[in-house]
Amino acid sequence: MFYKVLNIRSLSPSTYILRLERKKINFKPGQCFNIGLKASGINREYSIYSGINEPYLEFLIKEVQRGSVSSALRKANPGEEVDLHGPYGSFVVSPDEAKHNLFTFIATGTGIAPFHSFIRTYPNIDYRIINGIRTAKEQYDYGHYNSSRLTTCISRDDYWNGFKGRVTDYLKTINIDSTHIYFLCGNQNMIQESYELLRVKGVSGNQIFTEAFF
Amino acid sequence: MKIAISYPPIVNQDGQKAMVSQNRNVQFFKKPTYLLPVIHGQAATWLRDLGFDIYWDDGNSQLKNFDQWYRDLLKESPNIIVFESTTPVMKFYWQLINRLKSDLSGCLIIMTGYHSMRKPEETLFNSKTDIVLRSNHIDFALRKLIPYIDEHSDWRSNCPIEGLMIRRDENDFFDTGNFKQIEPLDLSPDIDRDLVQWRNYAYENGNFMQTPGIYSTSVIRDCMFGKCTFCRYNGPDLTFSMRSVKKSLDEYQKLIEDYGAREIFDDSGVWYRGEEARDFAKGIIDRGLHKKDCYFGFNTRFGYFDEDTMALLSKANFRFVLIGLEAADEETLNRLNKGYGPGDVENNLQLFTKYGFFPHLTIMVGYYWQSREQLKNTVKTIQNLMFKGLARTLQVTLCTPLDFTPYHQECIENKVLLTEDYDDFDMSKLIVKTPVPHDEYYAAIRSMYDIAFHPKFLFKQIIFLARLKKKDWQFLFIYGFRAIRRVRQHIFNLTKHQNCETKVNPL
Repeated sequence: MFYKVLNIRSLSPSTYILRLERKKINFKPGQCFNIGLKASGINREYSIYSGINEPYLEFLIKEVQRGSVSSALRKANPGEEVDLHGPYGSFVVSPDEAKHNLFTFIATGTGIAPFHSFIRTYPNIDYRIINGIRTAKEQYDYGHYNSSRLTTCISRDDYWNGFKGRVTDYLKTINIDSTHIYFLCGNQNMIQESYELLRVKGVSGNQIFTEAFF
Repeated sequence: MKIAISYPPIVNQDGQKAMVSQNRNVQFFKKPTYLLPVIHGQAATWLRDLGFDIYWDDGNSQLKNFDQWYRDLLKESPNIIVFESTTPVMKFYWQLINRLKSDLSGCLIIMTGYHSMRKPEETLFNSKTDIVLRSNHIDFALRKLIPYIDEHSDWRSNCPIEGLMIRRDENDFFDTGNFKQIEPLDLSPDIDRDLVQWRNYAYENGNFMQTPGIYSTSVIRDCMFGKCTFCRYNGPDLTFSMRSVKKSLDEYQKLIEDYGAREIFDDSGVWYRGEEARDFAKGIIDRGLHKKDCYFGFNTRFGYFDEDTMALLSKANFRFVLIGLEAADEETLNRLNKGYGPGDVENNLQLFTKYGFFPHLTIMVGYYWQSREQLKNTVKTIQNLMFKGLARTLQVTLCTPLDFTPYHQECIENKVLLTEDYDDFDMSKLIVKTPVPHDEYYAAIRSMYDIAFHPKFLFKQIIFLARLKKKDWQFLFIYGFRAIRRVRQHIFNLTKHQNCETKVNPL
């Protein structure tokens, strides 16, 4: 199915937000879509960034060096059509779960996308985000999050006043609330290490959900 | 402690043996297809490395009949037997396990596999199985479980390892919680080829264009996409993971240099794409492995490779590419969550064939919604692709809901299943209500297989062969012969129920 590009918002030399027309598509916050250029025959999976009540679809995309889809999408012009399939996946929070649970979202890089979708969809959700990025410039759309619920771990910025190091370094330093539901999204190594840390600190495997980005 | 990893020869009333086939489901075949169970091979190697005595017991590939297999197993008298379940052989396994528990008292039975992992209580209720693994990462699970059992006599009540359903007594089962594979795949060892008697799997396998062929140790575990509703690589209980490129390359090199592999196929999931695929191809070239007369093959999805990557893979001597087409109409692809549209198929196949790949298409018919028009569209599209030379071989199966995949659950919820008897789930007949008579789907299968004998297709193949190097001809004749034998077998299997629609056991 083809969807028009509404705009491309550049966030940094490597990252942008692709906004597409929504048409009548329904999805659950956190799900993913396959997107590719029209008639290219190639696509990649991207988690939804926007909330279910927004009149468009947004995706937070990191441009992969020599990547065949992410680079091409960045060059798409408003009005141009892209090929989109989906939604797919079960990395989601239902309205009922959002009402009754406490959540910790752990992200690296563009892995924050599904959590942004959760928060836009459920403004009253009780959450905490631990976001791992390389430099302070990667604090994308931070105005959309409640700053008291957001911890940023920066691994490559000497001037950062907050936590310096990786998400996993941070997890080692804090008390883990075993009553929370934990959602992990981002690179596979972070997920593997964080999962292990959470398990060691007493979180049941039944309360940890993961989505690795490749 | 002796551990048997066992695959009994299971023979049906037509004298056909149960063998792993498309989508890793069991089908019954008379002619052999021996697929190495890769993850179990890794488990066996890992346990052996930990000091356990391993009895690799694949009755099929070792050409045993059931009685011989059973006698040999009793003689070995293992402490633990590990089986692998899938829907159509569940009843067989339950009976077998009860018999074994009576003949080998004290022997523990561990059931693995996609069916039992999703319905563990069922297997514990219906047989004397001791433990059901709720994970498809058999290697990681057994590596923890077996030493624990060895060291703790109270393992039934206190086992802390997640992802198990343990029998405490007849009706008391201990659920240790969901298993989640989060350890790096690199930790699991390369399969010890001698331990699994690799030569038994090196010749009779339709995915090998040249022999001896070898299945690589899991390059991939499951599927990066993992959303197709009919596929077993789909579910919140599965976690995609992949080996590092270097570790895979090291193994490929060893298989070529130490074992003389002439074909290496990865059948452990949907293979690398993007950067990893390019790095792997470059690694093969840098190590000179592309000049060792060995072909490489893998499973992939439409939409995964750009032209540059395909060119690089081709240069590295990749040839056999197994791709699921499933159906040709947009509605079916959407309902199956395939993640691409019909238009992407031809684009991809053009590139694959441009770079000398041998695309092998796997197609299914008989979805519970599939209309006559959709079915005709699939047949017409396949004919078109084959006549254009965009695919070299194909395999068609009846879409059979299996192992509690989302499609299976959907069939149950929509009340379209015609049977609950697991024996009927062997992919030899349609077991769902369909909008058109079942015979039309069987006829469609025959039409698609008949393409292999159509003069137009044969002409296209000859033109294609003429472009190849002379040395490629010899194996292509061998491959062609095996392919025709297989086509005849598939036609027999998949159309033997034509005009017998009522044979399915009604609910």
